[in-house]
Amino acid sequence: MTTNSEATVAGPGGTTPAGPPPAPTPADQDMPRAVSVLVFLRDRGIFVLWGLLIVAFAFWCSPYFFKVDNALLIANAAALTALFAAGVGIGIMTGVLDLSLPGTAAVASCVCGWVLTHGHPTWLGLAAGLGTGVAVGVVNGLITIRGFNPIIVTIGTLSVLSGLAAVIAGGYTFPGLTQLEFMGTHRYLRAGDSFSGIPAPVFIVAGVFVVGTVFLTRTREGIRLMAVGGNAEAVRRAGIHADRYTVLGFVISGVLAALGGLVSTAVVTEANPNASPQIIFSALTAVALAGVALTGGRGSLPRVLVGALILATISNGLTIRGVQPYWATVCTGALLLASLLIERVIQASVSERLMAANLSVHQRKV
Amino acid sequence: MSTTATPALELSGIEMHYGFVRALDDIDFHVMPGEVVGLLGDNGAGKSTLLKVMSGAHRPSHGTIRVHGREHAFHAPSDAADAGVQMVYQDLSLVEPQDIAINLNLGQETLRKGPLGWLGFIDRKAMRRSSELELDRLGVRTAPMTRPVEMLSGGQRQVVALARSAIRVSGESRGILLLDEPTAALGYEQTRQVEALIRRMADQGIAIVVVTHDLPLCYEVTDRLVILNRGRKVADLPTAGADRDHVVGWITGSRASMFAEAAS
Repeated sequence: MTTNSEATVAGPGGTTPAGPPPAPTPADQDMPRAVSVLVFLRDRGIFVLWGLLIVAFAFWCSPYFFKVDNALLIANAAALTALFAAGVGIGIMTGVLDLSLPGTAAVASCVCGWVLTHGHPTWLGLAAGLGTGVAVGVVNGLITIRGFNPIIVTIGTLSVLSGLAAVIAGGYTFPGLTQLEFMGTHRYLRAGDSFSGIPAPVFIVAGVFVVGTVFLTRTREGIRLMAVGGNAEAVRRAGIHADRYTVLGFVISGVLAALGGLVSTAVVTEANPNASPQIIFSALTAVALAGVALTGGRGSLPRVLVGALILATISNGLTIRGVQPYWATVCTGALLLASLLIERVIQASVSERLMAANLSVHQRKV
Repeated sequence: MSTTATPALELSGIEMHYGFVRALDDIDFHVMPGEVVGLLGDNGAGKSTLLKVMSGAHRPSHGTIRVHGREHAFHAPSDAADAGVQMVYQDLSLVEPQDIAINLNLGQETLRKGPLGWLGFIDRKAMRRSSELELDRLGVRTAPMTRPVEMLSGGQRQVVALARSAIRVSGESRGILLLDEPTAALGYEQTRQVEALIRRMADQGIAIVVVTHDLPLCYEVTDRLVILNRGRKVADLPTAGADRDHVVGWITGSRASMFAEAAS
């Protein structure tokens, strides 16, 4: 009982021990100001970047760029990427990289197309499509929690699914699905001649991101989902069935992929069995721009949305200026690499400053 | 110090075989409520194995485990946790991107009242308040509850990990904490912080077993020392008055077991 005296010093009043041993850091001593600024830039930098892009294009592409109609064009162009990016992003935050998204999207749209062309009601087609997404997610999840690498597993299911989509479509496509127009090219909230209305996909994306963000940051299941991505072992040791959350992560990404597939089907009113890998790469680009660490557990959906919007903004601005579209992908790639570099610099600087302030920070692997 | 005569955790006649290797040989061990026992031994002496038996990670080949007098068979760490035995791991126990309040409450989150609660909405404010209260009770206010764990120092993280286990065991029945090298990789000041926390938890009636290589830590926080050598218990004595040279002798095996003398 050599340290009994110390125990009595720290009474229930919350007074930290004054004498030796040294008191724990007082609660109100906050991080140095420079660190707060750097952390803000790290976490919110993408919003600043998007703002700068908009300002730059507004001047460079004046007067066509900075208009409501063009904003809607950008939002509509970003919608599909954003949906798939939300799927990939939530997967990565949960600690699983789901590469089967294009396959899931293709199968979901073909299932929906099959149901609709066989004369069933629209809601049944949509439900069947989304149900396909759930099923794919469950299968992916159940295989992965047996201890297999999610990347390999989902590459496998991607192959299976793209084959299945072609089988369902019988080698053709399902054309003329005009029933889905209400969630495709249709515009809502039209106001006379001055405002042509907001395209349906924009509403869907807004709904997905609001619900997703609230789910991940405000609900128990969402926070556990993020925690499993951050450190599954710690969650397991806290007495939670971490595996269930891994499956849930796959299910969410599967449903979002199916939704993406259905929306793209609705836009072209045709269900196409071709699983385009381009989908997953543009989604991953948006997610990476958003600074979602591939190691899992970190990231936020609003940033992912802005990531998708940045891709669409660049492509839109360059198109207005008449630059060849290939340059848009060159730009986004360069932007991604630059953002990696900036993030590394900021992270290193934060670590250094925290060390100096006698606080350490986990060295993030990029 | 101890309020009851029943040990919080009692192991008797524990044996553990790995093939032909006898990792633990007829170990008797107990810890009283509010007592801190240091479990010492050289590498391979069987400390970690014994700790794993206590935490339910390993099933002993022979022997019984009693928690507050009741016999238990631990098939998995969750069984031990249900009985009130919590293992604090050196690492891997915290979710780095989440804040202190979430980490302390993981697995037992406070939900909001009303319809939002039915939808699974958590009450962050209530969780922060209760976390602050718990940490105050333990006398450790390390950083704002909203600070992510990845921005804490090694000592602060260890304090959060310890406090989390302490909160979990200090519920209905007074619990038992198993600490594996709690101060490994900590600096001098941080070690002192953790030492003080261990003492405070013991003063609240928690039984604590500390496995460590760190002799000064043992002398600082433990009431009793149990020393293992090659799978056998060679010494069990109060820390106060334990001769340092003797302790080192028992650890290295150069000194004969205090039980061997009695037996022969």
